[in-house]
Amino acid sequence: MKRSRHLKRNNIRPREISGLWLGKLLAIGTRLGGQGGTTLPGRAASALSPLLLASLAGQLRRGSLVITGTNGKTTTAYLLANIFRQSGFSVVHNRTGANLAWGITSALLSASTFCGHLPYDLGVMESDEGAFPGVVQAIQPRGAVITNIFRDQLDRYGEVDQIRSMIGQGLEALPEGAPVALNADDPSVVYLEQQHHRFLPIYYGFSINLPQARYQNTGQDIKSCPLCGRKLTYTTIHYAHLGRYRCPSCKFRRPDPEVRLINFNPEPHGITGITIAFPTENVTVHYPLPGIYNLYNALAAAACAWAWGLSTRDITAGLEQAVPSFGRMESFQINNRAVLMGLIKNPVGANEVLRTFLESRERINLLIAINDNYADGTDISWLWDVDFEQLAGARNQLGTLAVSGIRAADMGVRLKYAGLEPALITVEPVLKRALEQTLQSSRDEDTIFILPTYTAMLALRRVINRLGAARPFWEV
Amino acid sequence: MTSPCLAIYHLYPEHLNLYGDRGNILALRQRAQWHGINTRLIPVRPGYKVSFAACDLLFMGGGQDNEQKMVYRDFQSRRSELLESIELGMAILAICGSYQLLGRYYAAADGEKIPGLELLDFYTEAGSRRMIGDIVTRCHIQGVRHTLVGFENHCGRTYLGSALRPLGTVVRGYGNNGQDRTEGVLYKNVIGTYLHGSLLPKNPRLTDWLLQKALHYRNIDFRLKQLDDTLEEQAHRFIIKRCLSPLYHRRSSAM
Repeated sequence: MKRSRHLKRNNIRPREISGLWLGKLLAIGTRLGGQGGTTLPGRAASALSPLLLASLAGQLRRGSLVITGTNGKTTTAYLLANIFRQSGFSVVHNRTGANLAWGITSALLSASTFCGHLPYDLGVMESDEGAFPGVVQAIQPRGAVITNIFRDQLDRYGEVDQIRSMIGQGLEALPEGAPVALNADDPSVVYLEQQHHRFLPIYYGFSINLPQARYQNTGQDIKSCPLCGRKLTYTTIHYAHLGRYRCPSCKFRRPDPEVRLINFNPEPHGITGITIAFPTENVTVHYPLPGIYNLYNALAAAACAWAWGLSTRDITAGLEQAVPSFGRMESFQINNRAVLMGLIKNPVGANEVLRTFLESRERINLLIAINDNYADGTDISWLWDVDFEQLAGARNQLGTLAVSGIRAADMGVRLKYAGLEPALITVEPVLKRALEQTLQSSRDEDTIFILPTYTAMLALRRVINRLGAARPFWEV
Repeated sequence: MTSPCLAIYHLYPEHLNLYGDRGNILALRQRAQWHGINTRLIPVRPGYKVSFAACDLLFMGGGQDNEQKMVYRDFQSRRSELLESIELGMAILAICGSYQLLGRYYAAADGEKIPGLELLDFYTEAGSRRMIGDIVTRCHIQGVRHTLVGFENHCGRTYLGSALRPLGTVVRGYGNNGQDRTEGVLYKNVIGTYLHGSLLPKNPRLTDWLLQKALHYRNIDFRLKQLDDTLEEQAHRFIIKRCLSPLYHRRSSAM
């Protein structure tokens, strides 16, 4: 087959160019339409040119790395992109939580030229657990991060064991000896290393005890030893099933992490002073993201960057520049009211977000928005594993309480059975109206806390944009 | 009259706990309280020495294959006691994985036959496609026609023996096997079902039925109140409305 010299130099064939252009046009079109489409362009482009993703990713000068796991993918990917940029890399990154193969294709085609040239050093890509094997096959990353494995979107994957086996399949497809940062405090993640030996593990974990959580996570996913089935003994639990554990009867135990959190010190303005111990030195970071789960994200990014040989100075600077990422605890200002939005998608994450909200000690005006579209997970039974009972315990902090989204009524029932009187709960399925009502019935200078699922968050962002409060996310 | 107290046993709460099974326990306990009934929740873990003689209502949730295998032996050791209690009229709610365990066997995809407790005459075979989605069934609760709504997610196809009655008839969804339109099983006061979502919070009449049966079983004469179920009914009707809409299409699990 004869190809033009120009196309050949860029290592992309005519068939891919057509998909690329289609994707680019759709990306522009959806942006003009105000939708900020992050999946559709990649989806259409891949349908036309199945090899587009591989040929774009193949051009990245230093390859790419993929972040997967249940919670913390977006934040960890964002922190890593920051750190690598600090180190002088040009980075392409799927920033918006669009983490199926289509979303990754969208990110790459938007960053490429119309000739299909992708002039970047590194791709930092978050991948959905289910899409992970396919993503690894297509983009051939040189390393990975596995954050944790919790119960999430069981309707899509079947069961937790299956999520783990899909992550395992992806790990098998990595090049021999690829560095993979793994959470040592999560027995389910550690089990992966027992099963798959191709990669080079770099463990990270907490070496300190945190103040105990005020609630219990009932949806603990792994309670028994993944090797022999006996109940694991924990000396410390940080949250959910993350902690220091060992099996009383076999050799399975928490591995000693190489990158450890050894000190933790709250500072003013929501900053946390954390000390991270690397094998070579200890560094103190003034870390701006709230919540324990974000400490894990910092460690995950630090461990991965360290394994790639980046300096601790760049790691520190990258972590310190972080601002809360898309939908995962973002703040806006609307009509004199602070609005804080924290994405929820599974029990463990939702409990942590709820805890962070309640710890603010402010008057709580709460809007919980539950959709059950495909991207949210069509099974909403996980809502029953979230400790909304925390809210009943903090009743004197409650101002307004509204439930919205496609499954508003189910969320209302959930709160009723958590011990909140139905009279306190406003059920308004239309997101826009629910937000407007919450704004109206809250007081000046109040804070409004929003807990949306993924597509509810996208819709609420559009409403908030129209109210003139935030920049559209695809410009971030 | 002092308020009655029911002992709710939760079988293997750590091992069989999938798809928001906690919601079912919450629904039983909260509604009991609203009716003026006290409840005690007793977890039964593998190796625990407990007698079902003191149990008024038994709940078992779903589990992953691995976890079901872990509890199987313990479960087997309690078989004869369970069988006796079932015949005496103890109320049992078994969902998904534990429903399958009540039957004769589960034939896995690789041909392996995992024995069940053989408490009831049915068997389950693994199918190639998971049956996932909203489900609506029609059933009779205390002689009154009623609907049940929930979410199902299983690859096991369950076939009831000819003497067994299903819990409901499928209106939308798959049910026991996606073929004969049956869903679940109802034998005396034992309910096995694939519905979660969670099941009991949005099917309050089923919850009350279970509580009523548990009271009967203890020979307690206590009439349940009519509670205000506006919110529950709203959630219940939402599923029916969506599933019966002419535009409804079963959302596929394929990527």
